[in-house]
Amino acid sequence: MRATLRDHASRAVDRIRAVAGLVESHALALGALATALVLVGVFYYPVATVFVDAIVVDGRPTIEPLVSVLTSRFYLVEIFGFTAYQAFLSTVASVALGLPGAWVLARFEFPGRETLRSLTILPFVMPSIMVAIGFVATFGQNGTLNAVLRALGLPTIELLFTLPAIVVAHAFYNAPLVARVTTAAWESVDASAIETARSLGASPVRAFRDVVLPQLLPAVAVGATLTFVFTFASFPIVLALGGFQLATVEVFIYSRIQNLAYAEAAALAVVETVISLSLTYLYLRYEGRQRAAGQGARPQPRRSLWPESVTSRELGTRLAIVGYAVVVLAVFVVPIASMILTSLTGPQGELSLRHYRFLVERQQTGAAYQVRPLPAIENSLVFGAGTLLVGVPMGVLMAVLTTRDFRGRALVDALSMAPLAVSGIVVGLGLLRGLVFGIEVFGTRITATGAVAIVAAHAVGAYPFVTRNVAPLLGNLDPRLIESARSLGASRVRALLDIELPLVAAGVVAGAAFAFAISIGEFDSTVVLAEGSTSYTMPVAVERYLGRRLGPATAMGCLLLGVTSLSFVVIERFGGRYGRGGF
Amino acid sequence: MKRRTFLRTVGAGGVAGLAGCAGGSGGGGSTSTTESATTQTQTGTTTGMAGGTPELVVATYGAFVDAPSTSPGPWIKETFESEFDATLTFATPDSEINYFIERALQGVEIDADAYVGLNVDMLIRIDDRLDDGLFADVGDVDGRGEVKDGLNFDPQGRIVPYDTSYVSLVYNETMSDDGTFTAPETFDGLLDSEYEGDLLAQNPTGSSTGKSFLLHTIKAKGPDGYLDYWQELQNNDVRVLSDWSSSYTAYSNEEAPMVVSYSTDQVYANREDQDLAKHQIRFLNDQGYAYPEGMSVFRNADNPDLAEQFLEFMLRPEVQGEIAQRNVAFPATTTAELPDDFAEYAQAPPEAVTFTYDALRDNVSEWTQAWERQFASN
Repeated sequence: MRATLRDHASRAVDRIRAVAGLVESHALALGALATALVLVGVFYYPVATVFVDAIVVDGRPTIEPLVSVLTSRFYLVEIFGFTAYQAFLSTVASVALGLPGAWVLARFEFPGRETLRSLTILPFVMPSIMVAIGFVATFGQNGTLNAVLRALGLPTIELLFTLPAIVVAHAFYNAPLVARVTTAAWESVDASAIETARSLGASPVRAFRDVVLPQLLPAVAVGATLTFVFTFASFPIVLALGGFQLATVEVFIYSRIQNLAYAEAAALAVVETVISLSLTYLYLRYEGRQRAAGQGARPQPRRSLWPESVTSRELGTRLAIVGYAVVVLAVFVVPIASMILTSLTGPQGELSLRHYRFLVERQQTGAAYQVRPLPAIENSLVFGAGTLLVGVPMGVLMAVLTTRDFRGRALVDALSMAPLAVSGIVVGLGLLRGLVFGIEVFGTRITATGAVAIVAAHAVGAYPFVTRNVAPLLGNLDPRLIESARSLGASRVRALLDIELPLVAAGVVAGAAFAFAISIGEFDSTVVLAEGSTSYTMPVAVERYLGRRLGPATAMGCLLLGVTSLSFVVIERFGGRYGRGGF
Repeated sequence: MKRRTFLRTVGAGGVAGLAGCAGGSGGGGSTSTTESATTQTQTGTTTGMAGGTPELVVATYGAFVDAPSTSPGPWIKETFESEFDATLTFATPDSEINYFIERALQGVEIDADAYVGLNVDMLIRIDDRLDDGLFADVGDVDGRGEVKDGLNFDPQGRIVPYDTSYVSLVYNETMSDDGTFTAPETFDGLLDSEYEGDLLAQNPTGSSTGKSFLLHTIKAKGPDGYLDYWQELQNNDVRVLSDWSSSYTAYSNEEAPMVVSYSTDQVYANREDQDLAKHQIRFLNDQGYAYPEGMSVFRNADNPDLAEQFLEFMLRPEVQGEIAQRNVAFPATTTAELPDDFAEYAQAPPEAVTFTYDALRDNVSEWTQAWERQFASN
């Protein structure tokens, strides 16, 4: 009796093991399938429902909308030309502003360095309305900057409603991105390689050029590529700080969709996407060639921010850092501080907590159809956590798949980056058509809205960041590591979990930070997929509270900043244990 | 019958997620909800029931129910429900009327009874894209006869106006060295070099003030002259920003002394005890561009009778007065009950101007697109 029982039990265990083994050996394939399903369901299919309007009009295939865009001097020169020009300037500015930040964060030690690095992600979650308010208060004719210049007896500047205003605002959003990815790469530089170079007689400059620079360039390139793609599709900030004379292609896509001129909107969006994806493809070809630079086991020691000796070189370095800190103060700190000040200013310009009292009141007495602050915070955090759970595995998986060598790898890789390259307005309309209205199958309408759909949409927007942070590191791993693990009997997944992931943990954690931030800041698909005010998030609340006075919206915006900062400092504590660098 | 689950969820609050969620698999992106698509047979008044009480679903724009200052939505819901045996549920899709046009275009049933917040642009969009339109003929609702002449913007009588605004300039007297800045009195005056860089306006697409101001210039300068006028306006450094909010932010920060806004501006300023010198109204050419807002009943509404009663309710003298005060606009009817001091801060123009539906339907797209191309080319 007992023997039979044991037999049964052991057979059951065997069966479970067999299933587990089967799952493990096919886990990558299953994961890839799941990722593909999510991508098709909440991205490719919805976007296709909009793009099809560019090639099918009144049920007939046509190339007329695309031809009319591509033969229009106005669209090609005034709109696409200008859009690319401002994106290029914005990219240059973002790199110029981001690189010194990476240098300071990677090479110097000072109190609060890790917290500062965590907080560099904050601009990523700022609603454009908030940035516009902060920028007007900072760079306007009567702004803080001009007040300081006047006090110093210097001439004032007129920045608002000009191209430079847009470029600086884009740098506000994207310089932190450049800084973060470059910092991660800089921290991965092996100190022994530099020491070897130095011992062979290379000067510090030479050692930097030959050893450090080649490892930084791919990171700078990915930061620059993403910046270009983002600023190419920039929309609200352009009209809020520049004006209509500086309209970009996204302004026209919005206008055409507003007026239900879908064929023209879709044609513009297709051209926009093709340009962005082509650039991404070029970058990915470049990234693919940057393999095997080798990853350091021992990072370089950091220098103290306080000079250790009084040499002209040391002092010059510190002076440069102080100069950079002043620029950072003007571009990042003052606009955010202005926003906080606005949230604390009453109608007569007095200091007041009334806008925060409004939030409390709305929380207590707000009706079900109104947006209340606490549910918005809760939703943002839940969707953010969900995005981590879904988006990080998707991103890692995509990185694993695309670091293998196969024909058309860069093309597949570029297509997987498409969620970053397609107009947010188009994605919003596509989600409305594809998910909210759904499709009819055998007389039953299949729709998908609410929390799960929102998380899926956020994950699709977020996973490319994980992929781009992880793929270069994976590509640098010595393939023999995996081969030996496999030859010792480890499944592919086992090798990934036990060998590869711990070695690229910094990239995973960095990607996760971006994924969380993307989810917190997301607006377009959230409002479309939300089931009324009960599934609204913090940025939606900010938009809803915008009225004649800026107080309520900025108070909500400050809440958004506070909750996000706290989240990142908390995640940093956990993430810091897992992988050095990253956050 | 789960056709209205989504909207009822909005009204009832609390209920997270849709009923009928099948567990998502493969990364969690494929939760589906099934809805019966065979609702055409159930057109009686019993379909939109929430717990035995008929449910009236009113779609509108967010600020109508959820503005941080005041919005008429909560008062309307409370008052309507206290008198009628019905539950009033607000739906505020982010893309407003386009959400319903899209539903109709994609062949998905409309899940609301009435819409509040229609303007002539929206109506033209509906009529251009949908052969059968979206709205029922509600010409005979009580109180319709009280609506002021000139506010009716639908020649077919499907839309009933419930309030109106007038778009004008708002200017800041204190923004000159001696504190006596005055806005010009005419459109031509805006071209004077003394007003260089002094005016903030808005993108006509996506902002009703921007669209009204553009149409007002066409009214003043003619379809053949407005582009030349705008060329000179642009040479004089007019700023066309994304929307009313961003331009009013810049105005409040004293980036410029004039902004295109509503002639009710002083109502807010007075409420908050602000300096009225910073909130002066100017009707260019002694005209204000009228921006009436209307409401109607969806053609396939579940509760058409209740929806018509709602429209009649909205036109009652006391309700008209409340809407005007809470939406900070002018009532649509001549019989609205308003406090005596209402007119003190809500300024009406000597002459209200507007284009007819027919003139706009034939031209508004071309006018706007020509303007967009010219302005963005410079």
